[in-house]
Amino acid sequence: MIVTVTLNPSVDKVYWVDSLKICQITQEEFLTRATRSSTSAGGKGVNISRFLSAFGMDNVAMGFVGGNTGHVVVRYLQKKGVTTNFVWTHDETRINVVILESGREHSPNLINERGPKITEAEVERFMRRYRRMAKRASWVVLAGSLPPGVDSGIYAELTTIAREGGAKVAISAGGDALTQALDACPYLVKPDTREHLLLGGTSLTSTESIIAAGQHVIACGAQMVVISHDVTGDIAITPDSVWEIKTTVPTSLFKNLVGADDAFLGGIIYKLASEAPVEEVLRFGLAAGIASAESEKKICEDRARVEAEMEKVTVAKLEGVGG
Amino acid sequence: MKVRDIMTRDLTAVEKDIPVRELIFILDNAEMPNVPVVDEENRLIGFISEKDLIRAALPGYFEMLHSASFIPDMNQLANKLTQIADEPIEKYMRPNVLSVTEEDDDLRAADLIIRKGVKSLPVVNGEGRLVGRIRRIDLLRHSL
Repeated sequence: MIVTVTLNPSVDKVYWVDSLKICQITQEEFLTRATRSSTSAGGKGVNISRFLSAFGMDNVAMGFVGGNTGHVVVRYLQKKGVTTNFVWTHDETRINVVILESGREHSPNLINERGPKITEAEVERFMRRYRRMAKRASWVVLAGSLPPGVDSGIYAELTTIAREGGAKVAISAGGDALTQALDACPYLVKPDTREHLLLGGTSLTSTESIIAAGQHVIACGAQMVVISHDVTGDIAITPDSVWEIKTTVPTSLFKNLVGADDAFLGGIIYKLASEAPVEEVLRFGLAAGIASAESEKKICEDRARVEAEMEKVTVAKLEGVGG
Repeated sequence: MKVRDIMTRDLTAVEKDIPVRELIFILDNAEMPNVPVVDEENRLIGFISEKDLIRAALPGYFEMLHSASFIPDMNQLANKLTQIADEPIEKYMRPNVLSVTEEDDDLRAADLIIRKGVKSLPVVNGEGRLVGRIRRIDLLRHSL
């Protein structure tokens, strides 16, 4: 069983507009009419759960939900075949807004709420439930930002609990939460570089710095580090090699980048859980991410399309930089 | 059709030592009329509903009455509920819990729900671990 943890899930509201008008002078120009819109459950772990279910892999989504928006998240996931096990909180689940302008879909405008404040009692309720689930998990995925009120050490604690139960841990996060979790030795690390290009305090500004930071995390005990340094290319570091993963798909074909990174990680976890070789894991992961970016939907659920994208992905060992 | 094909895949459940106050919060926010009680291994050990809490907060003779008009006012219920709010739910849960397995036919689930007059039943796997619940509305939706 795979358990995904999204402590700060969201309702994702996507608006497609011809042109986004902001702070124009005349009153009528404040109005931007959406040509279309969609509502879905969001958050990194939630998106990964959705991907795994679409590819037939049973999983349980955990975290905090509250209010009407919390019900939207839970019902959406259940309809997608994900098993839910969320702790209900006093405050409402956040709403994240995505605005996609016609012709500029590769540069989405995002407004993310911080999320509800979680109380100590709610954290304790979650920890109790998590211990129950982690005992029976083969993989635990910890992904996304932390809501206010949750200590940045929580991912480290969740990693330790999961590893004690025999599960492998994948983590996709940033900032202090990721830095602290590295000491607990997760199996797979994918830094969230949306806000800060940092890993364990190292700035990821060049290929060399990415490789050095990844190798440092591997030396701490991780088995795979995947770092996105470019929209269409990534670097993966394993204990004995450094891999460059690229696609030939131009960014102009991208229709919705939101969720593509989560589909990427979902694809990697899907293949790792199936014990596929590293090259196939990475190829399938990037293909899942690119197929999602090319789709108007946040997550591409079409296996044939992902497999077709695999043909456009190259995975190459970088010589002279591996262990 | 099998129960696994139509059940609601939700693992909302409580432990037997949580206080009544917390249970009311969960029932209210999760919009569930009842909730399974599980042990540390996620095995089903009981069941508790809104009805069990109302029964616990009303005088013992209430079920013998045909009408609530014999009860002076709601204060009696509120006072009793306040008294038991911090007690563990174990005292009020039903340990002999009805359940179905994932592999049961939908007909068995429908039969139990109708005969026992419950709104939903816990669904367990072969090891007795909670894997979801089946509600009256799940049966209706899938029958259309």
